Amino acid sequence: MNLDEALQTFIEESSDLLTQMEEALILSEQSEEISEIVNVLFRAAHTIKGSAGLFGFDHIVSFTHVVESLLDRVRTAELELTSDLIALLMYSRDHIADLLEDMTPEPGNVSDELREKGDRLVEQLKCHLGSDESMPTKPNEDTSVAPNRTNCDQRPVRSENWHISLRFAPDILKNGMEPFSFLRYLSTYGDIDHVCTVPDAIPSEEKMDPEISYLGYELSFKSRAERSAIDSTFDFIRDGSQIRLIPPHADISEYIELITILPESNERVAESIRKCGSLTQEECRTALSEIQRVSAADRTQVSRSDIEASPPAPKSNPSERNATTVAKNGENRFIRVDSVKLDRLIDLIGELIIAGASTSMVARKIGVAELRESTSILSRLVEEVRNTALNLRMVQIGTIFNRFQRVVRDVSQELGKDIELIVEGAETELDKTVVERIADPLMHLVRNAIDHGIEPFELRRDRGKPDKGTVRLGAYHESGSIVIEVEDDGGGLDRDVILAKAVEKGLVSEGQSMSDHEVFNLVFEAGFSTAKEVSNLSGRGVGMDVVRRNIVDLRGSVELSSRLGEGTSVKIRLPLTLAIIDGFLVGIGNATYVLPLDMVVECIELAAWNQEVGDDKRYLNLRGEVMPYLRLHEHFGISGKIGKQRNVVVLNYAGEKFGLVVEKLMGEFQTVIKPMGKMLEKVQGISGFTILGGGDVALVLDVPGLMRQIVLEHEREEDTVH
Amino acid sequence: MSKTVMIVDDSASIRQVVSIALKGAGYQVIEACDGQDGLAKVSGQRVHLIISDVNMPKMDGISFVKELKKIPETKFIPVIMLTTESMQAKKQEGQAAGARAWVVKPFQPEQMIAAVSKLIMS
Amino acid sequence: MNIRFDYDPENNRLSLDGEMTIYTAAELKGRLMQRLHESETLAIDLSRVGEIDSSGVQLLLLMFRDAATKNKCIRIVASSPAFDEVVFLCSLQEAFGMNGIEAEEEA
Repeated sequence: MNLDEALQTFIEESSDLLTQMEEALILSEQSEEISEIVNVLFRAAHTIKGSAGLFGFDHIVSFTHVVESLLDRVRTAELELTSDLIALLMYSRDHIADLLEDMTPEPGNVSDELREKGDRLVEQLKCHLGSDESMPTKPNEDTSVAPNRTNCDQRPVRSENWHISLRFAPDILKNGMEPFSFLRYLSTYGDIDHVCTVPDAIPSEEKMDPEISYLGYELSFKSRAERSAIDSTFDFIRDGSQIRLIPPHADISEYIELITILPESNERVAESIRKCGSLTQEECRTALSEIQRVSAADRTQVSRSDIEASPPAPKSNPSERNATTVAKNGENRFIRVDSVKLDRLIDLIGELIIAGASTSMVARKIGVAELRESTSILSRLVEEVRNTALNLRMVQIGTIFNRFQRVVRDVSQELGKDIELIVEGAETELDKTVVERIADPLMHLVRNAIDHGIEPFELRRDRGKPDKGTVRLGAYHESGSIVIEVEDDGGGLDRDVILAKAVEKGLVSEGQSMSDHEVFNLVFEAGFSTAKEVSNLSGRGVGMDVVRRNIVDLRGSVELSSRLGEGTSVKIRLPLTLAIIDGFLVGIGNATYVLPLDMVVECIELAAWNQEVGDDKRYLNLRGEVMPYLRLHEHFGISGKIGKQRNVVVLNYAGEKFGLVVEKLMGEFQTVIKPMGKMLEKVQGISGFTILGGGDVALVLDVPGLMRQIVLEHEREEDTVH
Repeated sequence: MSKTVMIVDDSASIRQVVSIALKGAGYQVIEACDGQDGLAKVSGQRVHLIISDVNMPKMDGISFVKELKKIPETKFIPVIMLTTESMQAKKQEGQAAGARAWVVKPFQPEQMIAAVSKLIMS
Repeated sequence: MNIRFDYDPENNRLSLDGEMTIYTAAELKGRLMQRLHESETLAIDLSRVGEIDSSGVQLLLLMFRDAATKNKCIRIVASSPAFDEVVFLCSLQEAFGMNGIEAEEEA
């Protein structure tokens, strides 16, 4: 890992922690039991400070230090967490976020504006802290001194030696690397004061492999050399080893981290460090009790993670632990992966599926039974790999839901409204790329609900509603899609106002008969806006039409329902994943099309149906159930010889069924969806293409799009009839 | 008891410079001009460390390390591979073969002494 | 790259002659542990160990731990400069029960 990558990790880690702080602060306003919340806040500030120090961002260290000190007072109940204080902490959190952001392009140079803001906040924080707190020097001075030696640190340890902790990769002996040689080489840079050999990892006699390295070392090292020089001793054995250096008079938190990270039990590690002279008895006790406090807070804190939430396991007892193999706590079960790498993997799997399909086809053609058998095993495995890989990209929608808490809080305060956000189904999972791209449209909808939906409370009272308005964000899975709902109990949409506006904008002609549902969904048309005046919240030039376009781009759909005076509900439906789906192949003539298998209900020969019904044969009757249908060859204008045989594929989308008449049913197919080029983007009813085993191209049908068209056509025809 | 280091490189000048530096630091030195030569010379005597180039005629450094790993008497000898920075792929291959220590060419003699003493301090 | 084992059953004394390194570790483990299983008391003479590395040290630590759990008596009664250097380097005096009893029987 080079420094740039480490820096990237720091930025990501900090932004996670800031999110945690934000959530904790919001929770603290609503919760009675705040001690765990304060712990979360404290730890977040503490960790950001610590890591910022490692990178030499002293301005972040000094600001965060003040926040941390304040939180420490709250933690020890010397200060009460009043709503004033919560607000101040929220601003401070934002300031840290700004500092991090500011640092991203060119670290170190803080803009004057930011500095002034920071100074003001420090002043305010100090007021709460009282005068006796020994303050760090002003931000942005003192940059030449390493952070762990500045007076920012509360608790430097007494030891004036470096502490070196070594746990080697198991295979180093086999590669001719001898740990003793490295220990001896250290004398080039100074004197080893004392070593504590840690034999805990030696397993039982039967399991012990004499050529594996088991011994760990904690050592106190007297040296004036630079960190990089001392560190270079271990260059050849860094891979797979845990090598940690702690400088003289370091903050005790560095030791706390070391104790938590090492594989042996906390008590054992602390004892080894004490034995080698790097920590005093007293410092050991402090470190251990701190760890206990934090881990207690950990257990109670609701764990959240981008991939899957599972509670961190408390340390098991030492005898159960195998030195290097067992992860020490829940955190270690997760690894951070660059999403670009994940995307590359999904791309490759896409290629693999296509190549696999072509191999299977060749195998079928050649007709050797064994080959066919082995290719079928192969495709089953490929399918599993695909599912597993796609699963890696699944994240909980809660990751974006939670940021709306803040939006609702801030915006409703600004508007003088009292609004509660209720989140349901935050654990519902969907593809990371979909999550990222749905965040903005959702934000728009939520802001709309707060801004235009929820009425001022005088009006609410008149209507006999509670003062407090409610916005509900919900998510759940439904037949291969995820449904996201944004609901408010506000004023609802006024049918007449919308209709009048639509007529004025020329979207519909006057006197056109329309259902409520149709009228309400006019708000998604381009150039439609009902807000009497553009507020600075929602009116950012992004209308509901953009919301819909974003959703349609994701192969999803959106619809709105509303009751005047009672509220509005927007329902978004999105595919769970964008890249690869289980497809169902259908054919007309020589052309092949793909339908998402999740939406296929059943396939039936057309003859078996009770034939077309309705005046102009626009409906099919399936066992008494009447549904609209579409002849695919008509839709795409395929002329020429169409086989006699007709099949109907019954599709279900958003709870509505419709039939698609095709010629051939060709079975399931793992489909890697490739986006259409710019030229074909506008073709109705197609969402992409895929490559079949033989190298032919098949179009992926956009079921929601087709459905919208059927509805539209029927309406048009009805208009002409009436 | 001074320790024995073998330098395997097809460039005589590199062998020389390394040899001079190592002898000056108190090591005994054996020279070999490629992997095959190295294999021949390593048998029958105690060699504590091998410094090997990667690109060599007859038997390259990676194959050399793989061969060393097959022989009980030599499989635990630490190997320092000499590499150029552009040989990332080779480095992975070498690491898979068990070569953990890498020194980037060009290097100063002192760097080489430091690398050797980390592995076998005399 | 050899190690020789001499066992004197009368004095329960095991003498090692050669090197205790990664090259001999596999053989050493078998011989040492077997010896330990067959003995209630074991005196180990390391005075002719010319070389010892961490694989040798961890085997000795395994023996001492095993002996302790089975309440056996195990001692290092003689050591070589190579072994002493390693014990000093890693502060293993306590682990090998060598505080002030170094080479008591060397005579």
